[in-house]
Amino acid sequence: MEIKDKIIDENLGWQRINEDVIRSMDAPGKYYWITFAVCIAMVLCAVAAEIYQYRMGMGTVGLNNPHMWDMYIATFVFWIGMSHAGTLLSAILHIIHAQWRKPIYRFAEAMTTFSLMTAGFFPMIHLGRVWNLYWVLPYVSDRGIWPNFRSPLVWDAFAISTYLSASALFLVIGMIPDMAILRDHAKGWRRKAYGILALGWRGDDRQWRVFRKTYMLMACFLIPLAVSVHSIVSSDFAMSIMPGWHVTTFPPYFVAGALYSGCAAIMTLFIILRYFFRMEEYMTLNIMEKTCKLTFAIAMVWSYLNIIEFASTWYGHNTYDKELLINKANGPYAHIFWLMLFCGSVAPFALAFQKLRRHMPTMFAVSLILQLGMFVERWMIVAPTLSMAHNPHQWDVLYGSIIEWAIVFGSFGWFSLLFLVFVKLFPSVSMYEVKELTFHLKHEMEEEKEAAATSSKSKAGAVGKPGLEGA
Amino acid sequence: MNDIKVNRRGFLKALGWGGAGTALTACDLPTTITLEEGKEEVVAYVVPEEYVIPGIGVWYASTCTQCDAGCGLHGRVREGRILKVEGNPDSLINNGSTCLMGQAGVQNHYNPDRVTQPMMRKGAGLQPISWDDAMAELSKRIKSTSGSKIAWVSGSVSGHQSVLISEFLSSVGSKNHFAHETINSSVWSQVCADMIGDAEPRLRLDKAQIIVSFGADFLGTWKSPVHFAGEYAKFRSGQRGMLVQVEPKMTLTGGNADLWIAANPGTEGALALGVANFILDRGWNKENVPGTVKQALAAYDVDTVAGLTGVPATKIQRIASLFSERAPSLAIAGATVEGQANGYDAASAVMLLNIIMGNIGNTIEAGNKFPERALRAKSGNTGDLVKFAQGLEDKKFDLLFFSNSNPVYTAPDALRVKENLSNASFKVALTQHPDETALAADLVLPLYSSMEDWGSHVPAYQPEKVSLSIQQPLMEPLYKDTRGFGDVMLSLLKVKSNAYNKFPDYYSYLKTAMVNMPESVRSGLKGSRDQMWTNLLQNGVLNAGSNTPKLTPKPRAIKAATVSKNSEYPMHLVPSARLGLWDGRHANIPWLQEAPDQISKVVWGSWAELHPSTAGKLGVQNGDFIRVSSASGSIETQVYVHKGIHPNVVAVPMGQGHSAYGRYAKDRGVNPLKILDAVSEEKTGELALYATRVKVTKTNKSEVLVKMGGSETQLGRGFVRTVSADQFRRTEGEA
Amino acid sequence: MSLKNILENFSDFRRDAEVGGHHDYEHRWAMSIDLNLCIGCNACSTACYAENNLGIVGKEKFEKGQAMHWLRVERYWDETDGEFPEQGASFVPMMCQQCGAATCEPVCPVAATYHTPDGLNAQVYNRCIGSRYCSNNCPFRVRYFNFWSYYEQSWPEPLNQQLNPDLSVRDKGVMEKCTFCVQRIRTAKDTAQREKRQLQDQDFVTACAQACPTNAITFGDTLDPNSKVSKAWRKHQVERGPYTHKKPKENAELRGYRVFEELNVDPSIMYLERVRETEV
Repeated sequence: MEIKDKIIDENLGWQRINEDVIRSMDAPGKYYWITFAVCIAMVLCAVAAEIYQYRMGMGTVGLNNPHMWDMYIATFVFWIGMSHAGTLLSAILHIIHAQWRKPIYRFAEAMTTFSLMTAGFFPMIHLGRVWNLYWVLPYVSDRGIWPNFRSPLVWDAFAISTYLSASALFLVIGMIPDMAILRDHAKGWRRKAYGILALGWRGDDRQWRVFRKTYMLMACFLIPLAVSVHSIVSSDFAMSIMPGWHVTTFPPYFVAGALYSGCAAIMTLFIILRYFFRMEEYMTLNIMEKTCKLTFAIAMVWSYLNIIEFASTWYGHNTYDKELLINKANGPYAHIFWLMLFCGSVAPFALAFQKLRRHMPTMFAVSLILQLGMFVERWMIVAPTLSMAHNPHQWDVLYGSIIEWAIVFGSFGWFSLLFLVFVKLFPSVSMYEVKELTFHLKHEMEEEKEAAATSSKSKAGAVGKPGLEGA
Repeated sequence: MNDIKVNRRGFLKALGWGGAGTALTACDLPTTITLEEGKEEVVAYVVPEEYVIPGIGVWYASTCTQCDAGCGLHGRVREGRILKVEGNPDSLINNGSTCLMGQAGVQNHYNPDRVTQPMMRKGAGLQPISWDDAMAELSKRIKSTSGSKIAWVSGSVSGHQSVLISEFLSSVGSKNHFAHETINSSVWSQVCADMIGDAEPRLRLDKAQIIVSFGADFLGTWKSPVHFAGEYAKFRSGQRGMLVQVEPKMTLTGGNADLWIAANPGTEGALALGVANFILDRGWNKENVPGTVKQALAAYDVDTVAGLTGVPATKIQRIASLFSERAPSLAIAGATVEGQANGYDAASAVMLLNIIMGNIGNTIEAGNKFPERALRAKSGNTGDLVKFAQGLEDKKFDLLFFSNSNPVYTAPDALRVKENLSNASFKVALTQHPDETALAADLVLPLYSSMEDWGSHVPAYQPEKVSLSIQQPLMEPLYKDTRGFGDVMLSLLKVKSNAYNKFPDYYSYLKTAMVNMPESVRSGLKGSRDQMWTNLLQNGVLNAGSNTPKLTPKPRAIKAATVSKNSEYPMHLVPSARLGLWDGRHANIPWLQEAPDQISKVVWGSWAELHPSTAGKLGVQNGDFIRVSSASGSIETQVYVHKGIHPNVVAVPMGQGHSAYGRYAKDRGVNPLKILDAVSEEKTGELALYATRVKVTKTNKSEVLVKMGGSETQLGRGFVRTVSADQFRRTEGEA
Repeated sequence: MSLKNILENFSDFRRDAEVGGHHDYEHRWAMSIDLNLCIGCNACSTACYAENNLGIVGKEKFEKGQAMHWLRVERYWDETDGEFPEQGASFVPMMCQQCGAATCEPVCPVAATYHTPDGLNAQVYNRCIGSRYCSNNCPFRVRYFNFWSYYEQSWPEPLNQQLNPDLSVRDKGVMEKCTFCVQRIRTAKDTAQREKRQLQDQDFVTACAQACPTNAITFGDTLDPNSKVSKAWRKHQVERGPYTHKKPKENAELRGYRVFEELNVDPSIMYLERVRETEV
């Protein structure tokens, strides 16, 4: 195995790994604080917009009769989607023993939790009477009033809260051994805090066995949950009667789209962390390559599901669906539709070339393009259906208002803010799993060397076979 | 309660009454609580008026004054407030229905911009003044002004209000009563009077099998819209008559036509003559007209008329054959025909068509006339406006009274009414709203709204019986410093006449006048005078018998003039009227501003309708501003492009463009009446509202046209499905 | 809905379209709107504003599409290539169709919209949290949302004195729609109960039906076989329940139809087709 093909250098010392990761959590520098301030400002924008919206009503969002939903729901789906990549890397790849996930799954998992924390705001923000939000929950009321369990929005409430708590738990559990390392390295209040989070981890054999089991169990629990969450989010649309929403392939389409945008986000964060925290040795180009390949595969699945949807609409001859499809491609939203297809189905072909895959600036740009594509995909799901549904009298085109855009903008600030806090408080690379990785890699290499030694012997024997050379 | 099924709501209600009933009573009770059942327990903290039952709506009959059709109303009064009006089923005019303007009458009454106290001009502005001072000043002026210098400008007026105006004018020795209505049918009435001997004949839409309407928007703005809509429903049921509408811009009636034809503006008369000629030529109906008439018609052969009107010859032939196939027929002429310089002749041509088809006495019957001549409607027209403007120009008036009329807004600038108002030294506006005329007046006398006031109305268009409608207050006046129109009239009368001193107020006058009416009029009312009066108030309408003299058609040879080309102003301006804002008097009613125009669906503003071909040539589309210029001025407004308009016409609706008139009307849109040329109809002296020639130019301004509805077509989605009339007659024709 | 129930009544559950709503209706309020008679004059719409305290939104909000006209008269032009629309326009009063299998009902997260035993889609303002899913799922687009506190602008003194005390004025964040004038239904029912009699046809009608100058709108109870609306539905052979091709009308020339019937929402409003001469 050439160094070029290796996931990570197996000769990284354990001490070195500890030092490198803990170094990333050092007191932040100037650029960190500037970014932090920008994020705070973005969040404040959103808060101001929300206060205004709360006082004045949903009219501030520019919504109208056909467009009862708009950018909030699209952004909600976007953030929920982004959360899926963390689960993919940490849980799915964990149970199929894909080793290369180890250096990068931690921040992906954090991304899952934070994007869920961002996504969760949107169903609340979009409510006309947010102060009655709790009516969606099945609390015991002396009036015997329950939510309507037939409504996909109620399913949403359950699904998202379950997914958020499960993924947060998964993140915390996965960090226990690292917490212990931090506890041992830290001083003062940090030591105490990490101590609590480490839950008395000593690293003995029994603890490792229980930890492994628990982690595997959580991973198994999380995978169906992740799939069901986005299926339920897709039910918000698929369970309706509206053309362009009432689509059978929506649950897998949403899951694929979710994994797609999540992977693209991982690529982005990967490059950012690799560059800012000098983690070239951990976030290697080889891992990037694997991530890119995975993303490409998912992009193709997404494109395939798109084609299926278009084809079944086209051949279905349902007036409303078909006209909507034609109007998407040819109507007021055509530029967005084609932008979506370019970003989602054409741009990922950059991932098919090794040279490009190993060129970080290109990959950074591509990952952003993919995310843009997935953002407008959500917009293309929500808006055109409402614009051009059954009743042509109520046709209208809407591009949102400044209030709406401020809150969408602010959500990116909020997500980044959470992430910024995370990278300084928690190790964004899993130390114990990287150690595991190098350990296994070393063994593998040694085994390979031995095997190579024996096979070269047998090869040498084979060379002498007559007839082959002359053939 | 054993035999009554008690449901959950009933049970809870009973529980509520038994337990907390007494505590509830001071609150706003739901309508459904029965006072009779729980009377003993209920003790209200506030003792309401005798007739107020908290929570129960009481209905009172009255009359709608939103236009002069005189529909009967029932007003729902709860806790002393008028909440809603419905049509009075006893009224023969509207048979229990209302139009949108009628529904919006409550907003006229509750309008937040009413004039609430008398005001007098002091320097540049109007200052509040007490009624006593106002009346003192006014009687001083009346006494000091000679009768011939006093003039009264009103809208259409009838009943005892009309009597009081005439009485007042005769008491001061004036003959200057100008009744001005922009939306009228006075040319048609004149034609009816001259050709069949009845100015207001009864039109039997319900009997007709085909109606050809030359610009008469009888469903929207013509004479008595709600009544005609009801008749239209009968016309369209059973054997289902056919409606052909000829007009330059699609009106509400045109929107419901089986065949909508845009003849060149001003040539509708020629079209009627062409159809008449074709019918006579084929020998279908020749016995009805003398030979001279026929000879005169010979000039209007199909090809000539087709060239003149721009209507294909086949269409003209088709109309003619439909006319003869589908007797009985009815042809009527409305504003777009009347409003030309040759309006009288054109309308006469339409009436000639009726005579040829033998419609007189069949679908056109003698109209019912109210026996008391003084109470009959004095229908407003634009001829009076021209005369008034001329008088003003000639400085004939010193003391002017305006009631129910807003000439400063409705008169074209070319008549110079606004400028010449200063020629009259003292102008009095009796008004409910601060309209443009009131703001130009020297004394503003605030009136009750029609829902606070007494009155009697004798509609000009009388349906199957002679009828009079009573207007009674539906609630106490909102403002203490306003007065009833009749009360003000009585005070004015008392300045120079002692005959009215016995009436303390208009109510007593009206009651006395009504119960003393001749037997023939109050045939429906029995009992003592008080009982009669109570019955009258309860019914709201008085339907006396009908008088049906025979009509004698007087056909005459008609030559319909054509419209010349005008190279400087190539297009025709149609200041279209709409059911809603009417002539602009309802622009201060938010419901009507928000009710979309029936055809263009535009709200809260003005627009100019253009045909797609014209708009294409001009390079404009929906929302672009264009400048419409006539010789008398120009306006700028947004374009609405649709096919329901003649390519050579630009239509701008009346109603907007107020410079005053309250928050909902002020500074909104444009007033097309302002740029009309002072062209008069040649024979009647009416203002030819549709004869103004304009040119249209593009401007650089563009805004979103605020209208209802996204797609202009159904995109084949079957919202409104259409079947053929033949199919309809096969399945439902028996009725 | 227990498992036993599902197993025992499986044939009911596996029908091609859901019947929806209650199955023991007290009344089923319905309408018949004759488009042959409808002239598109807007009287119904304004009557609705007057009866139901509908907010005035003004030009700017109307432009944004935030108007509150529960009953709107839609106007369509024919899709012809001719120079003029020779057959006039097409008008259709469009309001909540009070569907029997309403798509708005199952999607509300808090059950603020539900089916009453009268066959109405009731909207409980107090329960509504404003998720607006019901409106999104309405093919007719006849649900109107209080995007603003319209009452602050709509009725300046003394216009507010006109407000109908039989129903509330809605604040921001609440969905609303045509109720078939439920306050009139309530009053009429209570009056009938008080007078110890059955509710009769034409005891009351909705505000739109009452105003209509051509009587194009007929309102009544389809469970009462003698009501005007029942007769109209029978005459035109339109039946309640999901749409099915298995039951063709005996007389295919009859005019009755329900808008979007193919969506299986079982609307309570029967429209009668517009009529135009063919040979003109």
